[in-house]
Amino acid sequence: MASKLENYLRTYRRRAGLSQGEIALLLGTASGTRVARYERFNREPGLHTALAFEIIFHAPAEDLFAGLYDRIEREVRHRAELVVRKLEAGKQDRLTQHKLAALRAIMNRPS
Amino acid sequence: MTGHRREDHRVLAIDPTSRGFGFVVLEGPASLIDWGTRDTGRADSNEALRRIVDLLDQYGPDAVVLEDTKDPNSRRCRRVRELIGTIKATAAPRGIEVARISRMQIRALFSPAGATTKHRIASVVAEHFPELDPHLPPPRKAWMSEDARMSIFDAAAFALTFYFHRDSASEFLNTKENASQETSNHPRH
Repeated sequence: MASKLENYLRTYRRRAGLSQGEIALLLGTASGTRVARYERFNREPGLHTALAFEIIFHAPAEDLFAGLYDRIEREVRHRAELVVRKLEAGKQDRLTQHKLAALRAIMNRPS
Repeated sequence: MTGHRREDHRVLAIDPTSRGFGFVVLEGPASLIDWGTRDTGRADSNEALRRIVDLLDQYGPDAVVLEDTKDPNSRRCRRVRELIGTIKATAAPRGIEVARISRMQIRALFSPAGATTKHRIASVVAEHFPELDPHLPPPRKAWMSEDARMSIFDAAAFALTFYFHRDSASEFLNTKENASQETSNHPRH
């Protein structure tokens, strides 16, 4: 199927029957314009706002920002691969083995 | 509130009207992503098409679902028929599947649930997607023109019928007592 949408804020808001202005009040922002920008994927919310959305909709960021989450996950996995290669080329001690196990867990975690 | 299935086709179903169109976006038969009406103020097909392109850009659907106006039961005016043709011509070059659903197919799907009228079908859709319930217009009297919001429910009926004729029928109308019987009675394409 088409990739996940960047976020599902509009879906969750509309399911809750709330307006963009009401969400803006809950977020403590001046107007619904910023909410509209988030919903149209024109702007990414900061951490404070993302957590506020989790609280408002009682849903995890992984669901609310599904497409963004997928993209970040792919990027982190790719970087984990690079760090693994770097560590594998160096000295192999117990700490390195411990780090490699943690990094491989990131790479192999089911999405 | 539950999460929504995302492994299914994302579908944009559109129901053009005399003053604009109604639409729904679904990711599977149980997951309503967005819905609404767009009033173009008059029978302005260019403005309607511009707004439909906005939706295509925003949601990047796998499929666009439209009424099959070649069906003998379709009673759409020439402008709406042309608009539906233009939507198809706009979606296809983007690699978006275009599906046509006839009124007969909708009726075949909904009638076992006791929904034989347009309003009753809309009521079943509202039961399936409770978030649509506040938008359900009252039953229309003979002297009343149709409420524009009815196009949301028509679009939802197109989309659900589309999924039914693909492979997700088991989830469809899972709250209805005849759902399992219906699934076995209707061959899937």
